[in-house]
Amino acid sequence: MNSERQVLVTRREFLSRLAALGALAASYPALALQERRSGAVEAPDWAGKDPWHTLTAVQQHLFPAGEDTPGAADIHAIQYLRNTLDNPAADGEDREFVVNGVGWLNELAQERTGKPFIKLDETQREELLRTIEQSRAGRNWLSLLLTYLLEALLADPVYGGNPHGIGWQWLQHQPGFPRPPADKTWYRLGRPVHFQRKA
Amino acid sequence: MERDYDVCVIGSGAGGGPVALTLAQAGYSVLVLEKGPWFTEQDFYKDELACCRRSVYTPSLEDEQHVIEDLLDGDWVGEATSESGWDFWNGNCVGGSSNFMSGFFYRLKPEDFRLRSEFGPVEGANVADWPISYADLEPWYTLVEKEVGISGRFVDHPFAEPRSMPDFPMPPTREHPVVDYIDRACRKLDLHPLPTPRAILSRSRDGRGSCAYSGYCGSYGCSTGAKGSARAALLDRAAATGKCEIRAHAKVYRLASDARGRVTGAHYYDAEDQAQVVTARLFVVACQAIETSRLLLASVGPKHPQGLGNNRGQVGKNLLFSAGGSGSGDLEYADLDVDAAAALKTRGPFVNRGLQDWYFLDDKAFGGRAKGGTVDFLLSHPNPIGRAMGEKWDADDRLVWGKPLQQRLKSVFTTAQHLRYEIFCDWLPNDNCFVDLDSAVRDKWNTPVAKVRIGYHEHDLKVGRYINERALRVMETLGAKNIHSGISGAPPQNLVAGGCRFGKDPATSVLDADCRVHDAENLYISDGSFMPTGGSVPYTWTIYANAFRVAERIRSAL
Repeated sequence: MNSERQVLVTRREFLSRLAALGALAASYPALALQERRSGAVEAPDWAGKDPWHTLTAVQQHLFPAGEDTPGAADIHAIQYLRNTLDNPAADGEDREFVVNGVGWLNELAQERTGKPFIKLDETQREELLRTIEQSRAGRNWLSLLLTYLLEALLADPVYGGNPHGIGWQWLQHQPGFPRPPADKTWYRLGRPVHFQRKA
Repeated sequence: MERDYDVCVIGSGAGGGPVALTLAQAGYSVLVLEKGPWFTEQDFYKDELACCRRSVYTPSLEDEQHVIEDLLDGDWVGEATSESGWDFWNGNCVGGSSNFMSGFFYRLKPEDFRLRSEFGPVEGANVADWPISYADLEPWYTLVEKEVGISGRFVDHPFAEPRSMPDFPMPPTREHPVVDYIDRACRKLDLHPLPTPRAILSRSRDGRGSCAYSGYCGSYGCSTGAKGSARAALLDRAAATGKCEIRAHAKVYRLASDARGRVTGAHYYDAEDQAQVVTARLFVVACQAIETSRLLLASVGPKHPQGLGNNRGQVGKNLLFSAGGSGSGDLEYADLDVDAAAALKTRGPFVNRGLQDWYFLDDKAFGGRAKGGTVDFLLSHPNPIGRAMGEKWDADDRLVWGKPLQQRLKSVFTTAQHLRYEIFCDWLPNDNCFVDLDSAVRDKWNTPVAKVRIGYHEHDLKVGRYINERALRVMETLGAKNIHSGISGAPPQNLVAGGCRFGKDPATSVLDADCRVHDAENLYISDGSFMPTGGSVPYTWTIYANAFRVAERIRSAL
């Protein structure tokens, strides 16, 4: 195990990998994704109210669904986010920051366009999110949402995202075993541990 | 005077485990105090959130942290790790960080015990010979192969260290198809690819299962017991003797000592944060290098006004990490036929290949005879979230989202196998790498945290670059693309030793050759703190071997 070194180079390593794009063939069967979507259950009540309503729209913009690409809804990103932020072991500051960010985003949307974020079209959404990225807080907020999106895509389904391993299948990723049962999730191991995100 | 136990061991990792087992088997009553919880195989799953993205096996940095002093514009500037996020904990639970190692094990070589005499002094470095030789430690290395369980296959090579047993007690773990690429390239370059010994069982034994080859080993706790953690390999057996009690959630904050300098009691906070004290005839500290020095410094007494064993100001000095760096390259599936690509995609078996052709250098271009290092090959860590996180920033540090992010993810996950190598060189001991108590930052129990200055010696980079040039040739020869590498003076926090070096002269050491603390006749240190120099391999095998050696010395002393 030599994780620190790994962190130090992977960054460099990853930054240069863009060159390899283009040779990609769609490998996740679009059909399977369509079947999943047709069987999807309706969004729960809370998802229609803010902050979750706006957050759902932001997530869909950050991680859109494609014909053969699972989007934020397919990976249950909003459920994952809510589970994570509402977890009693979670970092209360994260929750407050995510919720406050929704307020700031909508204020800016109103100021610029006279409409809340959910009423904007895709171009306007992109413009607005790129605008808030210019501020340190905005950038941190978007970065945090992206982190939770990637967790929803690739964490074990026991946490509420990545239903049936849809994210793993899309990226041809082979998970490890044994996988965590519901009574052995990270916050149920040992005595309560304080939540801490790691870099 | 009636005491609670014969021996109290503080810390339950690779340093504490051998002592607890040896002394419990010898019939002494042993108490092991461990700061963290006691997880078992039934708690270890391949869950990236638990292993690597939440604080489960290590404390929250708000509760317990370090202050790291780094050089900034010519000044040493301290930053609390709760601010920087640079976590210096490695596994606080029964078995310590040995639960989370990937277990590639190398011995030191005879010359590593006498670097100063062998290669001479290095300006600005405190290189010192060890008070013992390789021959003194060899039987204990061999014992570890059996007691901890090391799988491997001995292959002779120019710098092979002597072994008293012809081969390992069990065959190597299964190997990944990528080793064929490495072996072919190395042979072409006239190098000697070595099977890496692993502290991982390739066969079930003593109630421990064989490796299940899930492919998620380093950073993860082992679900079968195959990994030779101090917990699975030693402490479970120590507890089974009925003579060893392991007390989890017991954070020792001070060792009290008497007018003769002897340690009388270990003061600790229990799971409810209540202060407790335990007495014993003899105490052994093994909290991993940084915390061991911190505990000694915090334990002042009538004969130890500057902290236990610190009457000559040596505690915490000459802390060691591992120097070197790492590199990576892609083996692209598009360049291969379908079968070869499928083989490379295999997840589970180990890479098990290392190179020690440059362990010693003899090259005029480098400056003559010198100590070199080890190269070890591995696959990029399989953690998917960790891998994906690298894709959310572009080269200009702007966030990437939407379709561009999805394309990047698809590319990084599906187009190539990512082969890596790591270079291990000596971290030269120097005056700017040490542990002290921080004057401002305290932990949740209101005791000063360790301040760690992380200065490195420029020579380390020179050695690292020399080896890296050669490792890169292997990567090119085996057909890797997008090759990147970096040699850095940044310390890998999981490869740490030193701080209480052993030696013959009390003026320049903390421990005697038996790892007993000077001026404290019933106190021993059995973790990696004892090492005056670190060698050019991961430390764990040497820590295990020395701890078994120290345990035997303690048994004689009791």
